Amino acid sequence: MENSFIERAKSSCALGGAIATISSLPRSIPIVHASGGCAQTLSATYNLGSGYKGPGYCSGTMTPTSNITENNIVFGGEDRLEEQIESTLRVMDGDLYFVITGCQTEIIGDNSAEVASRFRDRPTPVIYASTPGFLGDGFRGYEAVLSSLARDFITPSTAKDKKTVNLLGLMPGQDVFYRGNLQNLVFLLNKLGIKANTFFGDGETVEKIKTYGQASYNLVFSPIHGQLASKAFEEALDIPSLTVDLPIGDTGTEAFLRQIAKTLRVPKAKLDEVIAEERAYYYSYFQRFLEIYGDLDYQRYAVVSSDINYAYPLIRFASEDLGWIPHLVVVNEEPEDEADSALYAKKFEELTASVRPKLVFEANTGQLLRHIKESWPYNHNDKYYNQLSPLFIIASSLDGSAAQKLGANFLPVSYPVTNRAVLTKGYTGYRGGLTLAEDIFSALVINR
Amino acid sequence: MADNQNLLEGLVYNYTSATEPPTRDVRIEPTNAYLGSCRSLKCAMGQGCAKFNSRYFSQGVGCQLILALGIVRTFQNVVTIIHGPLGCASNNIGLAGFNKTSRALKGKPANDVIWIHTNLDESDVINGGAVKLRDAVLYAEKEYRPDVIVVGNSCVPGIIGDDIDAILEELEGQVSAKLVPVHCEGFRSRFVASGYDAAYHGLLKKLVDPPSRIESVLTGSSDEEERLARIRRENSRTVNLLNVGSTSYGDEVELSRILSSLGLKVNVLPLYGNIDEIARMGEAALNISICATHDDYLIGHLKERFGTQYVIDTLPIGIKNTNQWLRVIGEALGLVEETERLIDLETRQLLAALEPFKATLAGKTLWVGGGETRIFTTAEFFQSLGMKVLGLKPHNFDRFAVPMLDDIADPETSVAVAAGQPAEELVYLKRLKPDLYVGHGGANGWVVRLGIPTIPLYGQSQNYMGYSGAFELARKAARALLNTNLSKKIAANVTLPFKQQWYDSNPQDNIKETPGEEPTVRSSVQ
Repeated sequence: MENSFIERAKSSCALGGAIATISSLPRSIPIVHASGGCAQTLSATYNLGSGYKGPGYCSGTMTPTSNITENNIVFGGEDRLEEQIESTLRVMDGDLYFVITGCQTEIIGDNSAEVASRFRDRPTPVIYASTPGFLGDGFRGYEAVLSSLARDFITPSTAKDKKTVNLLGLMPGQDVFYRGNLQNLVFLLNKLGIKANTFFGDGETVEKIKTYGQASYNLVFSPIHGQLASKAFEEALDIPSLTVDLPIGDTGTEAFLRQIAKTLRVPKAKLDEVIAEERAYYYSYFQRFLEIYGDLDYQRYAVVSSDINYAYPLIRFASEDLGWIPHLVVVNEEPEDEADSALYAKKFEELTASVRPKLVFEANTGQLLRHIKESWPYNHNDKYYNQLSPLFIIASSLDGSAAQKLGANFLPVSYPVTNRAVLTKGYTGYRGGLTLAEDIFSALVINR
Repeated sequence: MADNQNLLEGLVYNYTSATEPPTRDVRIEPTNAYLGSCRSLKCAMGQGCAKFNSRYFSQGVGCQLILALGIVRTFQNVVTIIHGPLGCASNNIGLAGFNKTSRALKGKPANDVIWIHTNLDESDVINGGAVKLRDAVLYAEKEYRPDVIVVGNSCVPGIIGDDIDAILEELEGQVSAKLVPVHCEGFRSRFVASGYDAAYHGLLKKLVDPPSRIESVLTGSSDEEERLARIRRENSRTVNLLNVGSTSYGDEVELSRILSSLGLKVNVLPLYGNIDEIARMGEAALNISICATHDDYLIGHLKERFGTQYVIDTLPIGIKNTNQWLRVIGEALGLVEETERLIDLETRQLLAALEPFKATLAGKTLWVGGGETRIFTTAEFFQSLGMKVLGLKPHNFDRFAVPMLDDIADPETSVAVAAGQPAEELVYLKRLKPDLYVGHGGANGWVVRLGIPTIPLYGQSQNYMGYSGAFELARKAARALLNTNLSKKIAANVTLPFKQQWYDSNPQDNIKETPGEEPTVRSSVQ
């Protein structure tokens, strides 16, 4: 598929994604070989746009960078990079140093991999990933960083721990709720007796990450993102992968647990027990909204506009858990491979409401309004007009004005989220489903 | 106006025929790497050697594209196109809500900020991105019917040699929007302020009309003569107040209030302005700058091309600098006496109002970091309230701020010229332990981690400039010192990513004082 221009892309570039990823690893320092503004600008994309997650241990203005200028473009920037790595090791206190590259130094042909390899024998690891912006969006940087970890840092191991998995596909920053989502997933998996390596979550260390070659599976929470990384984990560390949907709420989480239990050989009795326990917990809380739901008719037509990781899980939650009308899903990116798009479309057949949502792949933010309008008969000033209302849009904060124009209720969940501040919140699992229900119903009662 | 023109002495602005102006590296010759004192910096600027400095260890210095787009993105009914990969200006995502809110705060239509990336990929690096740029322009025209489409050129097309001017010229007949190329490739300049010039160069070439010269119109009708006389009188009292990205609505209201009380009609421009207002910029009796670092290219050009008079002096923060700023304006317009009466009244009222805050602030110590003119005027104000300035960290330093060095009482006060570079600044702060830090966006969070309370150097919904701004600034600082628990708690529990050996080192050793990074090559890369 040919790349086109994008209006208000909900992402950054590969370098931006790499910085967001590295700065979310424990005590890790990115060293950016690029012009002076890349590190700061790209960091700000996620540090502000992702519920104000901030720069982490080291990004934003703190990012070490070679700041190459016109002279380096002409004469090469390798010496400058070497100087910057050397001085960064002297100044910055990290457990892992990650050399990453921008467009300028890749176009002029600096051999940054070779420069980074000169630091191979230092007490603290210095590794490298090629991440020029023109590779693609932020996810491409996530893929590159995780792939380098698999190939150049994590120790391969033939002794696999049958009950340990690596979690991939949830990109820090691009998933606004990644910390909470990972926390909820660890909680769920632990209940099944499975240990989950998150790379970015609570209690992680670089030392621990080095041992993640012992995991027996990679769980990839995205049909397209994290797939390059999981391939690197398969090739370099001999760890097979299983692609799953982001589990949100009762329906999604049960499907997820049953899917992985089969692969990870969790005994059926144990699985049923965990599901029953969590489900009882879920509904003991969820039922508290039934009065306001029923008395105020809080059933809604649901429109989801989000990245591919969230799109199906969100509409499934609306349709299967909330009992809403799944009307339209606008995925803000298009898989490179058409087969992936077709496979993604097939998921929607599992929804059990009497209507199926329309699915659109559309990267241009400004087109959401058009897609919603085109999804419904136009009002020709009829005396009786069956309106697309009441309507709830789950999207990103860039879509707020579309919701406003349509008089729809609105909750931003998918990146970017700039009108909410996020710390520990996550939407995965049964408990995350309750959190999402809280946020959705809060949006409904906000004016009361 | 003799005094204030010194700031621009020797500078020329006849670059209209060029696709881009020279970068600040060659045009202004600033430095962004100098650690010393007010006294030593003044000496170094005099000798002209600081401009060659660079660093061994470096953090991000910023990108001129961000500052260029920061100007044009605010115009009304504009679409900005970033000709580059998805990352360049992707921080728009974090700022779109900010700009929309600013539009609302300033009473302008609160429309979404619209931008488009041409999304250059690996194959475009080889084949060029002309087609995508054309498609993006046509999409912008069709979807938004903008008055202006601004194309910001990024590093990739800058290096591979896409000719955006030619592409836009071809499209001029096909779209009704005005097409403005802005050459702001990040790698071309070490100084983000080059982005101001890049944006204004595009604006001056494509959006500003020659002023209509009504005095040359001859008519026989006395009604018409009277109408023209009225316009002439109006124009002779109309001034442009040139805003910047960090002027809040409160600042604009306050500065307009002050100027209106001298009988002037004030247009606040060009940020958040519409295309008609911008087109007529050359007609005003006077262009009034509040930040020389921001405006010299714009006003210098308008003077050179259209003869529009200007004042460019200090930034109106604090009493001394607001008064100085006003005096220069009063002198330029022949309103010296009126200005003095106004200054006398405003100063008297303000000093009385500030009295309660002095008790909290006097004797406390201070560090200010950010844009050069803003930090020196802010520091001078707090100094006037009895605070001691321990140091300043300008992003860059050049001729526009040299006169301000003398405003700091102790010439041995530290100055760390550094764009970004929190590593160096935090070593200073750890040693000097100021009671209060006043900082630029992106800096305050690190300083809190060190245990020092902060207030922001500027703010979207807060007033900093003029007399009321001084009051607000004092009020804000005094409030911050009423409770410093947050910074204490954070410092006790959160670490900064530095090695002890860095804290123990002399940051000056990080500066290379030999020529190394100076711009010897220009525009030959293509």
